[in-house]
Amino acid sequence: MKSKDNATGTRYGMVVDLDKCIGCGVCVVACSSENNVSVLYDESDKTRNISWLKIYRITNGKGFPETEAVYLPRPCMQCDNPPCVPVCPATATRQDPNTGTVSQIYTRCIGCRYCMAACPYHARDFNWYDPSFPNGMDRYLSPEVSPRMRGVVEKCTFCHHRLMRAKAKAYAEGRRDIAQDEYIPACVEACPTKAITFGDLNNPKHEVSALIKSPYSFRLLERLGTEPKVYYLSTKDWVRRMADNYLEGEFIDRP
Amino acid sequence: MDLALIPNGVQRCSLKTFTSWAVLWIVLIVWGLVSAFLVFWKGLNQTNMNHYFAFGLWIVFDLSLIALGAGAFFTGFLTHIIGGIFLYPFRDNLRAVVNAAVVIGFICYSAAIAMLGVDIGQPIRGWFIFWHANVHSMLTEVSFCITAYLGVLTIEYLPLILSNRKLKQVPEFNIFGNTLHHIVALFAAVGTFLSFFHQGSLGGMFGVLFGRPFAFREGFFIWPWTFFLFIHSSIAAGPAFTLLCIWVAQKATGKQLVTRDTFTLLAKISGWLLATYMIAKIADTIGWAYGVVPRAGLSFMDFFQAPYGVWLIIAEIGIFGIIPAIILITPKYRERENLLVIGALMNVIGIVLNRFIVTIQTLAIPVMPFDRFMTYFPTWQEWGIAFGSIGYGILIFSLSYRYLPMFPQEPELNPVEVLGTVVTDSGAIKRS
Amino acid sequence: MELDRRNFIKFVAGGVGGTLLSPLPWKLIDDIAIWTQNWSWVPTPARGKISHIDTVCTLCSGACGITVRKVGDRVVKIEGREDYPVNRGGICPLGMAGQQILYNEGIRWKAPMKRLGPRGSNRWKEISWIEAIDTVSTRIRGVRQSGNPEQVAAIDGNQSRSSVALLIRRLLETVGSPNYLVMPGQEHTSAMVQLLMQGSDGPVALDLENADFVLSFGCGLLDGWGAPGRMMHTWGEWVSRGPKERTFVVQIDPRASDTAMKADLWLAPLPGTEAALALGIAHVLVKEKLYHKEFIEGHSLGFDDWTGQKGITHRGFSSLVLEKYAPRDVENITGVKAELIIRVARKFAAARAPIAVAGRGKGLLPGGLYEHMAVHALNALRGRINKRGGALVAGNLPLSDWPEAERDSAARDGLERTRVDGAGTPHYPFARSLIHRFSESIRTGSPIDTLFICSANPIHTVPDSRGIEEALKAVPFIVSLSPFKDETSLMADMILPDHTHLEKMTDIVWPTGIQYPLYALSRPVVRPIYGTRHSGDVIISLAKKIGGSVARSFPWKNFEEAVKQRAKGLYDAGGGESSPEGSVPVWKRLAKGQSQSKGHSSFQSLWEDIKTSGCWYIPSHSFGRWTEAFQTPSGKFEFYSSAIEAAVKNSSKGGSLDTTLQELGIRARGDEVYMPHYEKPGSGADKGYPLHLLPIELINLASGWIGNPPFLNKTLFDYQLKGSDLFIEMNPKTAAEYGLSEGSRIILRSRRGELRARTHLFDGAMPGVVFIPVGLGHTAYDRYLKGKGANPYEIIERVEDPLSGQPIWWNTRVKVVKI
Ligand SMILES: Nc1nc2c(c(=O)[nH]1)N[C@H]1C(S)=C(S)[C@@H](COP(=O)(O)OP(=O)(O)OC[C@H]3O[C@@H](n4cnc5c(=O)[nH]c(N)nc54)[C@H](O)[C@@H]3O)O[C@H]1N2
Ligand SMILES: Nc1nc2c(c(=O)[nH]1)N[C@H]1C(S)=C(S)[C@@H](COP(=O)(O)OP(=O)(O)OC[C@H]3O[C@@H](n4cnc5c(=O)[nH]c(N)nc54)[C@H](O)[C@@H]3O)O[C@H]1N2
Ligand code: SF4
Ligand code: SF4
Ligand code: SF4
Ligand code: SF4
Ligand code: SF4
Ligand SMILES: [Mo]
Repeated sequence: MKSKDNATGTRYGMVVDLDKCIGCGVCVVACSSENNVSVLYDESDKTRNISWLKIYRITNGKGFPETEAVYLPRPCMQCDNPPCVPVCPATATRQDPNTGTVSQIYTRCIGCRYCMAACPYHARDFNWYDPSFPNGMDRYLSPEVSPRMRGVVEKCTFCHHRLMRAKAKAYAEGRRDIAQDEYIPACVEACPTKAITFGDLNNPKHEVSALIKSPYSFRLLERLGTEPKVYYLSTKDWVRRMADNYLEGEFIDRP
Repeated sequence: MDLALIPNGVQRCSLKTFTSWAVLWIVLIVWGLVSAFLVFWKGLNQTNMNHYFAFGLWIVFDLSLIALGAGAFFTGFLTHIIGGIFLYPFRDNLRAVVNAAVVIGFICYSAAIAMLGVDIGQPIRGWFIFWHANVHSMLTEVSFCITAYLGVLTIEYLPLILSNRKLKQVPEFNIFGNTLHHIVALFAAVGTFLSFFHQGSLGGMFGVLFGRPFAFREGFFIWPWTFFLFIHSSIAAGPAFTLLCIWVAQKATGKQLVTRDTFTLLAKISGWLLATYMIAKIADTIGWAYGVVPRAGLSFMDFFQAPYGVWLIIAEIGIFGIIPAIILITPKYRERENLLVIGALMNVIGIVLNRFIVTIQTLAIPVMPFDRFMTYFPTWQEWGIAFGSIGYGILIFSLSYRYLPMFPQEPELNPVEVLGTVVTDSGAIKRS
Repeated sequence: MELDRRNFIKFVAGGVGGTLLSPLPWKLIDDIAIWTQNWSWVPTPARGKISHIDTVCTLCSGACGITVRKVGDRVVKIEGREDYPVNRGGICPLGMAGQQILYNEGIRWKAPMKRLGPRGSNRWKEISWIEAIDTVSTRIRGVRQSGNPEQVAAIDGNQSRSSVALLIRRLLETVGSPNYLVMPGQEHTSAMVQLLMQGSDGPVALDLENADFVLSFGCGLLDGWGAPGRMMHTWGEWVSRGPKERTFVVQIDPRASDTAMKADLWLAPLPGTEAALALGIAHVLVKEKLYHKEFIEGHSLGFDDWTGQKGITHRGFSSLVLEKYAPRDVENITGVKAELIIRVARKFAAARAPIAVAGRGKGLLPGGLYEHMAVHALNALRGRINKRGGALVAGNLPLSDWPEAERDSAARDGLERTRVDGAGTPHYPFARSLIHRFSESIRTGSPIDTLFICSANPIHTVPDSRGIEEALKAVPFIVSLSPFKDETSLMADMILPDHTHLEKMTDIVWPTGIQYPLYALSRPVVRPIYGTRHSGDVIISLAKKIGGSVARSFPWKNFEEAVKQRAKGLYDAGGGESSPEGSVPVWKRLAKGQSQSKGHSSFQSLWEDIKTSGCWYIPSHSFGRWTEAFQTPSGKFEFYSSAIEAAVKNSSKGGSLDTTLQELGIRARGDEVYMPHYEKPGSGADKGYPLHLLPIELINLASGWIGNPPFLNKTLFDYQLKGSDLFIEMNPKTAAEYGLSEGSRIILRSRRGELRARTHLFDGAMPGVVFIPVGLGHTAYDRYLKGKGANPYEIIERVEDPLSGQPIWWNTRVKVVKI
């Protein structure tokens, strides 16, 4: 069921170093600000609020003071084999064959939420309410990203408009290639600890292509075959174990 | 007052009685309409669905309705396609119920489609499924098939409507109705084909979710096993549901509407299908437990967390699967009317339970190990739509029964005692 | 042609066929598709020219460089500046959400306001600026004429050396009031430590980037401590050095805070025993002779036992720690295993460039003075003062002084009077401002007539916030300069609303903790969107309106002119850089010391440069120079603080030493009083209140200067805030003892009051301690904030820190009642 050959061509991906991430939430705010994400009065309703990037706090389950906790930021995994894409009845979400990125067409989405059922990462958010930018806050909306209407699904797009921006620039300069630092999503750019690296996983000139070969790299729920393009780094074995389901004896700590 | 509309040769209660019966269901319908209005006006925040429970009560109802409505295509298939040859001895039995089955099917499908219309976030874009169809999506297949099939059901329903005594008097209607009647076998064939696919695709919808190990199934070609399991279970439950509806109608009217051997036939068909389905379902569960589950790094019990505990699967397979199958396939049991009805009812409950589990539990079980387990309970608006569709179903069924010759065996089984005057112009017999 | 039935059908059929072949139906369907997407209430952001303006975030004194992306004249996005020396790219979540502070009119005052209803009833009348300035200046003139100019007071939350703060202070000075109050902060404690042990009055400067070992006594290095943008960047920098080279961080914290979880080693002492832990480490350093001999012998006072002027023998710091702080004893006090203390001490000693830092949480609340001294003593023991990667001794920025303020006789009289809060009196010798004393003395009949409140929300941000609220009720006339509808401004009689940060120029003079001189200047990136006015301009207009010597002391046309006049000193000093460029960060260039000044031909050109770049800094530092560095009477680093000795003497004039120490709240006796030591906290324990309450600060929860913007609410977990319920953190074992489980509803009761909350069970919380996040529980602002959570400061017991007199907030005992 692989939808594309992922050995060649451009495949944008991300590597999040969990040893660096401090859970500050800047990436979440940057993403919300960059992408006109609306805000509920009650943002504590995590089953209804919208956050393209969600931070999980995971702990090793040990008692005080052996406790360890790690933050895990989770954008859309931009799966190479996305379970969400083939299910959409209205072709409102698609995988770009040129970048591997999974797009979302808000104005075509009928709001059936089948894609949400398909995505095991809960990376998709549905607009249960009318978008609201009250008290004059619509004044900060960016025209580069269209605000969504009630009743449609939205999700992280790897800041698609930034790719468009970079492409337009390259095109204007008569280039075809986009350099590593020309296209950087808002969350990556904003991270104050530089925990996130972004680039073309297939391009040896891009840092990410080396990072994903690290013995400390892993992905979430790899066993399901979704082939996420968001990788994580952690030197802690218990973190890596939490990233997927393992039967007893299956998980082997790194030597 | 409505005597002119009542079919020839049968008796109906007074309009007053009927009206008070109808009011009950109209109340439910109004509840449903108010709910639907709120949902359209304010959006799906009127429900308790959320990012975790992207699907809720309505999808469970949809899946159940469509499964139970399968009595229509399956009876049609038996009656019109293979009935003439293989089931010749039972032809009359099948003919006795085929109208009712069509009406039930129509009700189930129209209610399901209406409910889907409420259930999508952008109802006015619903047609994008057709306009921007994605051929890979099981939901596209479902949408195409059930929409087309509702058309077929309408066409199958029309001759019955047109055989209303009053409508029949319009020559054009009469001719049209007759024509349709003649080609009904063709529609039955189309309906069978369509139903086969959408019943299957509904199961496929969940079976293809390879990100959700609870629902994911391997399968044949593009179809996961759930595709076939859904077809199988729907044709097992459809006849049982038809049987139940007719039985309830008999109780409500105090009349025998079909012959007893018709019930036996439906029970037998349903029973054997259920029994074979149970074998398939158990095989599937075992295959899943030893295939999909460990490959995802999970163990069987990981999928059963309070309140969606293992009792659900015991109830689905054990109590509401194996037991009704035994009741319905054992002649000794199904000859006893109360057991027969209980068997049919359990069969139906089992299938509804299956649709519930496939939808809700799939979503409730977190896949990421650090994710949370959630529970969900519908709002009154969600219940409103659900009960509204029940009210709608009962009302349509009642109206059809009252004004249409739905049960061909009825006049025969209930000879009318003429006590009053024969009102010739209407042909109806009025009881004083 | 005859229109018969046949033709009609043909006509219709042809028409239908023709239409279908035409583009019309497809166009229509397309239109419908588009129409179904046009929801009038979904905003369509206006297009416009995209521009980027570099400036500085001044939402906290961290001074991060930011780039504001504008579309037309609207601000749409704030990003960190890679070229800015402080943060080099990243910023904190609050700064990132800055546009929600600018544009959320639900939280802003849009024009000057006069109170209509009773205080706190939130009924206002919009007035003109002329009327507002008139009213306030008339009142001040009145107070001056009545001969009690000290009845004018100000509570100021602006950074103490920023120009707005100086203007407010100058206003009070020229009016004749000593009652200028600042909000309590940890910087005050750190500053006192510098003063008491090094005699220096310069800013606290920590060369953290160049350190290879950081011993953090509860500092939430990653939780918003110091200059948060700088700290987060530094963390990334530390980790990027790779597993072997990375800076080793030891976090001392009773809770698995974010910093503790990221640290290489986490020690969890009982709350309030950090000083003992520091001294335990000192014990090991002394006992194992791991201290820096050259520094100790050549540049410190009071390490060994010594004989003073009058032949009195004094006990040395070394014998004090050897006697009292053996690891076993420290284990008994702190609960930290002796082996661990020894291990940490040896690692600290073995490190190339270790540094010990103090200041809990965000470092925003005052800390214990002796505790801070104990931690700083570790730096001295390893000779880490004014060394690369250590605690630097810095001079002040070369800003010009404004012309001397003119004090008329009324002012001179007023300034002679005692401060309402008693700061600076023999009882509080080192304090400059004591907000809690201020509120206490006001509650019983206000000695203050007119109170200015600027950039401060004391009703929400000061422990014992209810006390402040009571006190404010007693003040006859309150003028708020707040741009926001915060708790305190709602208590005011008149609002003279300031611009928000993106609308105005603000200078931050040496951001918190930065190790090199840095002057940050923000510029307005949008024209003010409402009828607000810069507080600096407001103060200047007020002064002019008051007239006389007051007016003459404010000769500037506007705020910018005043700022510019100060900045002139930067030009005069020569050197310095104002156009950040190049990829080598300033902290790497420190030792080299050379400045790449562009050599501005005139002050004007430097000023323009600073306005565009938002900074001026000197990328050099001369390390060592110990004899110059220490301004103490001994000219050395003082383990034994002569300043404390002098103050205590001064305080006990004529009385017994014992009584004085008792009054000062010091339990120790003898030479210990003048040295870092562990003071057992006042008997907080009480049978009725078995648990310890500790406030915690989160980087993604704005707890100070401003209400949490909506985007930040997004980042809070629903086990921190759910609906209107605040969650406290508790160890599962402690919870079990009280029959509590995840999400239980409780009443948290202290001797000060109670609040409602729910429980979140967290293994990383120390048993017996209840942790409560600070920043929520607003009763003002808009729907995004108001009524959400609870404010722990309402139930926190204030304990006065011995000697510094600052309120201490970590000594509250509570009980938990399940409801
Ligand atoms: N624009 C803007 N300004 C802000 C803020 C903001 O958010 N935005 N935040 C505010 C915050 S949170 C803070 S903490 C402040 C920091 O502001 P402050 O804490 O007011 O001041 P600093 O200048 O950083 O450091 C205090 C200096 O004053 C002296 N000092 C103060 N009190 C004492 C004392 O009692 N004894 C002695 N010996 N010396 C003392 C010392 O020399 C010390 O170096 O900035 C505030 N200013
Ligand atoms: N919860 C909590 N309490 C704290 C702290 C904390 O971080 N969190 N920190 C402590 C420390 S170190 C300090 S210094 C104090 C700081 O506490 P406060 O002095 O109360 O100051 P802030 O909270 O920084 O600012 C308070 C108010 O200043 C107003 N304000 C903001 N910007 C401007 C402006 O540009 N102009 C004017 N005129 N008003 C403005 C707003 O109304 C804001 O609510 O609080 C102490 N208490
Ligand atoms: S901004 Fe960086 S450090 Fe902060 S939560 Fe996001 S990834 Fe982690
Ligand atoms: S993470 Fe979810 S939404 Fe994103 S591509 Fe994968 S399945 Fe689709
Ligand atoms: S909710 Fe929208 S994107 Fe998701 S499957 Fe349905 S139509 Fe496609
Ligand atoms: S890549 Fe862009 S859209 Fe995705 S989480 Fe990051 S900022 Fe948001
Ligand atoms: S740390 Fe301070 S200066 Fe930097 S962005 Fe945050 S609020 Fe602004
Ligand atoms: Mo502060």
